[in-house]
Order: sequence, then C-alpha cells, then structure tokens
Amino acid sequence: MAGLSFDNYQRNQFLTSKNSAQPKATSTGTTIVGVKFEGGVLIAADTRSTQGPIVADKNCAKLHRISPRIWCAGAGTAADTEAVTALIGSNIELHSLSTRRQPRVVTALQMLKQHLFEYQGHIGAYLIVAGVDPTGPHLMSVQAHGSTDVGYYLSLGSGSLAAMAVLESRWREGLTKDEAVSLAADAIEAGIWNDLGSGSNVDVCVMEVGKDAAYLRNYRTPNVREPKQQSYKFARGTTAVLKESIINVCDIEEQEVEIQA
Amino acid sequence: MNGIQVDINHLKKGEVSLGTSIMAVTFKDGVILGADSRTTTGAYIANRVTDKLTRVHDKIWCCRSGSAADTQAVADIVQYHLDLYTSNYGTPSTETAASIFKTICYENKDGLSAGIIVAGFDDKTKKGEVFSIPLGGSVHKQDYAIAGSGSAFIYGYCDKNYKHDMSKDETVNFMKHSLSQAIKWDGSSGGVIRMVVLTKEGVERLVFYPDEYENL
Amino acid sequence: MNTVASEYSSEVQSTPIEHSFNPYSDNGGTILGIAGEDFAVLAGDTRHTTDYSINSRYEPKVFDVGDNIIMSANGFAADGEALLKRFKNSLKWYHFDNNEKKLSMSAAARNIQQLLYGKRFFPYYVHTIIAGLDEDGKGSVFSFDPVGSYEREQCRAGGAAASLIMPFLDNQVNFKNQYVPGTDGKEKRHIKFLTVDEVVRLVRDAFTSATERHIHVGDGLEILIVTKDGVRKEFYELKRD
Repeated sequence: MAGLSFDNYQRNQFLTSKNSAQPKATSTGTTIVGVKFEGGVLIAADTRSTQGPIVADKNCAKLHRISPRIWCAGAGTAADTEAVTALIGSNIELHSLSTRRQPRVVTALQMLKQHLFEYQGHIGAYLIVAGVDPTGPHLMSVQAHGSTDVGYYLSLGSGSLAAMAVLESRWREGLTKDEAVSLAADAIEAGIWNDLGSGSNVDVCVMEVGKDAAYLRNYRTPNVREPKQQSYKFARGTTAVLKESIINVCDIEEQEVEIQA
Repeated sequence: MNGIQVDINHLKKGEVSLGTSIMAVTFKDGVILGADSRTTTGAYIANRVTDKLTRVHDKIWCCRSGSAADTQAVADIVQYHLDLYTSNYGTPSTETAASIFKTICYENKDGLSAGIIVAGFDDKTKKGEVFSIPLGGSVHKQDYAIAGSGSAFIYGYCDKNYKHDMSKDETVNFMKHSLSQAIKWDGSSGGVIRMVVLTKEGVERLVFYPDEYENL
Repeated sequence: MNTVASEYSSEVQSTPIEHSFNPYSDNGGTILGIAGEDFAVLAGDTRHTTDYSINSRYEPKVFDVGDNIIMSANGFAADGEALLKRFKNSLKWYHFDNNEKKLSMSAAARNIQQLLYGKRFFPYYVHTIIAGLDEDGKGSVFSFDPVGSYEREQCRAGGAAASLIMPFLDNQVNFKNQYVPGTDGKEKRHIKFLTVDEVVRLVRDAFTSATERHIHVGDGLEILIVTKDGVRKEFYELKRD
C-alpha cells in the first residue's frame, strides 16, 4: 500500500487512554517569510528547532529545495515539512524530466496542496513556496489542511505575527533585491527576538529571474554565544575506568616490505 | 434533525477559515459575483487580500465560504470536471457546474465545510444565473444569493433593495452597499471588496478599497 | 423570493463546551542558589514570559528581604510576588514583636514553610529558594517545594531550567562523579568550598548555557551575593532570542 500507514493509530489511542503520553514530534516553532521584489522573490527563516520549551537544534535549516529554482520555507512539524518537500521535489523532477520543461511553482504548489488535503491536516506542514520559472517569479503559501494563498509578502509560523508587523510597515512595491533581503532578514529578526519559538540565525534564499538561486545559509548571525567564564576540561583519570575489554574484530598481520627508491 | 445529525459545522483544529461575506447577483446583462477579502485563523487575519472569487470555467465562477482548504479543493475538482466536459461536449451550462459542485458537497457532507455560490453567464441565452449551495449540499437557483457569516446582517437590506434587471452600475452599487454593511457588522469579514462581472463582453474584475466603501 | 438558510441556523453545538478559569500560569525563568563558606549567592534570570511571548526582559525575581536574607519564588510570578510580600510582612511583625531581633535563616525557613503549607489545597505555584548566612556565619541555602517541604542544601537550581542546571551543579559544586586521577574510581574527588569568584563564574556559565537550550530563560542575569558585610548585586546581559 502506498502512502502513510495508520496501523498504529488504534494502538496509540489505547496507550493514551492508559495514561502513557504520545511521543511529541519536534515542532519548528518558527518564523518564516517570503518577499517579492523587482525581478525576483526570496524566502527567509530562523534556525531554531524546539521540543516543547527545549531548544533541540540551534542551527537547523528550514529552507528546503524543491527544484534548483524553487525553494520553500517550512513551519510546523519538522519531519512533515522535510518529508513533504522531499516527496514533491522528487516528483517535480520526474515530471520535469518527462515533460522536458523547467518545473513551475504552481505545479509544486498544486502537488503540495493536493497531498496535504488528502491527509486532512494530519501532515503538519505549513510552507511558503517561492521560485522563478518560465512564467516569472512566484510567491505562495500552503497550510497543513491544503489551503493556499498568494501574496507579495507572506509570513508563517509562531513568529509570523512579529514578522508580519515588520512586513506590513515596510513593504512597498518595487523593492530592490538588497532592500528585500534586509526587509526579510529584519522580519525574521523580529521573530527571533520577540517569539520564544524562534531564535538563533537568519537563513535566506534569493531567486532572481534568469539567475541561479542563491542560498545564503546563516546570512545573519546575531546570536553568537559569548565565551564561557572558564574551561571545564577534566584532569585525565577523573572518570574512573571500572572495567576494560578489547574486542578484536579482525586479525592483524604485519609484513615488512622494502621499497626501492 | 431527527436525532441523526452529522457534525458538519466544525472546522478542524487550526484550520484556516473564510468567515466570509459573499454574494452573487443577476442583472440585465449578466451576473456579478462579490466578496470581501479576509481569511482568518482564530483571531489572526492570515490574509487580508484573499481572492474568494474563483474561476471554474471561462464564464462560470464561484464564491467560496467555509474552510479555505475544502472550498479550494472542491473548486479545483469542479474545474477539472468542467475542463473534461468542455473537451467532450463543449461549453457547459452554469447549471451543470452547480450540479457538479452539489454532487461533491452532498456526497462528502460529513467531511466538508463549504458554502458555495455558483454564478455564470450563458453565452447562448445571454442570461446570468446564480445557484446557492449551502452546507448540506442542496442546490437553490436564485435571482441573487448571499452567504457566509456576514450575510446574516444583510438579509433585510438585500430583500428590500434588490430589483430585477438592474443595470451594471446599479448592481455594482447594490452589491457595494450590501457587502459594505456585511463587512461593517461582521468581524470575520473585511479587507477589500472584490467583484467579478460576467457578461457577453467577457470577464471584468473590480476592486473597491475601504476608503471608498466605508463612506458610501 | 425564496430564502435559503445561512450557516447561522446550523451553528449548534453537539458537545457541551466546558468553561473553567485556570488560576495558574507559568511565567518561566530560572533561579539558582549556592552556599559558600562565608557567603551565599542567589541568582535569577530577568525574563518574564507566558507561552511563546516575552512580557518583560527585565523583571527582577530575586530580592533582598532584609536581615541579610535573599529570597526568590520562581514559577507563577503572581504567586511568587504574593509569597514574598507575605514573608516580608511576617518579618516586619517578627521585628515588632521581638524588639528588632534578627531573623535567623532556620527561622526564616520554618516561617516560609508555614506560609506555603497554609495554602496546601490551593498552593502557591512556586519553587522557593532563600539564601543567607547561618548563625555561625556559614553560607546557607534553603529550598522549598510548592507546599512547604524544605531542606538546607549546598546548592539548588529552581524553575524552568532547573533540570538542565542541577546536574552541572552536582558535578561542579559537589564534584559528583569525579574521582581522583589514578585511583581507579576508589577515591572520590575531595569537596572544598568555592570562592565567590569561582561561584559567580559557575553561575554565569550555568545561565548562559540554560539560555542556549531553554526558551523561557534569557535577557538578563541578576546575582545577589550575601556576605557578612551585606547584600551585593551584580548584573550580566543574557541572549535575547
């Protein structure tokens, strides 16, 4: 059978009723944005990944490549955003090969929304999809339930309100690339500082018409850790060796060989 | 309802909804569809410039209300069916489109929250037609239809002010006033007013900003 | 004109909605107390949160309550403030009733237990720590659970990142899991009193580390240090993301 298996659903339902909690998926309590500008489109994201109140990854990558010039930023359940972009990315490439045409953003979007709708929101992926194709630059978003939106500027994730506040106050028509990059990075920073689910660095991906996509990993790093007050290096032998055993996984043969110059 | 009631009115958790004000009105030269542009997730406005007027065929369009995901999916499927119909039999009637919408909404009533108004212009009869398809999947042919959460506030206004065979300007004005009031009193509606005019001349899109419609 | 019912009429709720007021909330933050030989420190971050929002980047939660005692009640900030206020009031009356007699650490601890247990079935939702000098002038730290169970300890972390900091403290203050090199785990590393500077370094590293990994910790670190000369304050910036 193709698709996801729901075999364990009933078992998990039973286990929950017997008071053992279900394992929680790592959610990228995220800030992601997308901004259109003169001659292209870009997306940006923070790099914090959380498991409840704990930071699981301080520098994770939330920008995913669907095709060389179509990228997407993911919020929601980390595993879902990665799996769904990988799946659609794979199908887009096959589709591109069989049609002998460059992949289009609307194609990726339609595939994403149909896949997500089929799973009725159980796949917790919230994506901002952007890219350039033969029809020009595009910026769209998909929600887990399968609804899509189009816009000149978008934001998603737990920090989307903070980011949108920046975008709403500073976005205008006809931004240059550099203006758009700094606007997007500022919007992500608003999320980093004001939303506890977001933090660490800013990743950016710029897609310009007629150019290769530029993935700017850690475009801004406003959260470098200060050096610690002291070293915590232990003196050798601080940890007691209680038992020692060496397993020979292979036989070693030594042989001397003379090499002529 | 006889004790057998399917809970078709709930949105799934965190779902994006179109707490909407939508309408479609027939007039002398055809039909006009109108809608606000607000999409909400809870109290947050997820999109303030949404386009709820969706093309399913050249001159058959629909107004969407309810779950954004459900109505988009339904509209996509209807568009597919109408494309297929067109290549097999030629241009479909508005009634055919409404019937496809109905079938999907009716057969899947337990899984969908979609309130749709289908409106189209028939190039053969030179007539505009409006079909309302509310939650359960019934079809209602009407001279005009209103739907969405904001419509509750304008039943009286529309009933008093609608006239048969209005001119285009009269109709646009009637809809602008109606939607203006719906938006004013319904918190889930807002943004701009979008309209699509379907006549023998073709398809025309109109946008009205708050500055204009708030001070009519 | 026939009328069609709007969704309005079908807005019926089949399952009853339960409305209830939750008197508690979690305002995050973390605190840490360490006792030295002739001093004690109590440190706390200054971030105040609810859920994913920061309410304030500087809201002190470690206080000098008088009589060379410092106190912090971390958890639900409103309860923490209420408890602190009640203890300060109790201390004032102690002075009135006992001719300005200085309250000892052990007496303060017992008094706080009474305040906490007094609300046994509607508890103060806080982890409380006090620090000061005992009757022999030795550094002392007492920590309390929400309903008043308490213990004198060498060091204790409380609040959001307590579980992250406490193992570090066990290892670096009480030298847990450390052995004297070359003894094959026969001889534990000998404990010794740390100096104020050493303690402050540990506290700062504990908080910068907790800030890295816990979203409810950050913005600022305020350390209160008690010695025989009184209470001193130090402040350090923490990361704000």
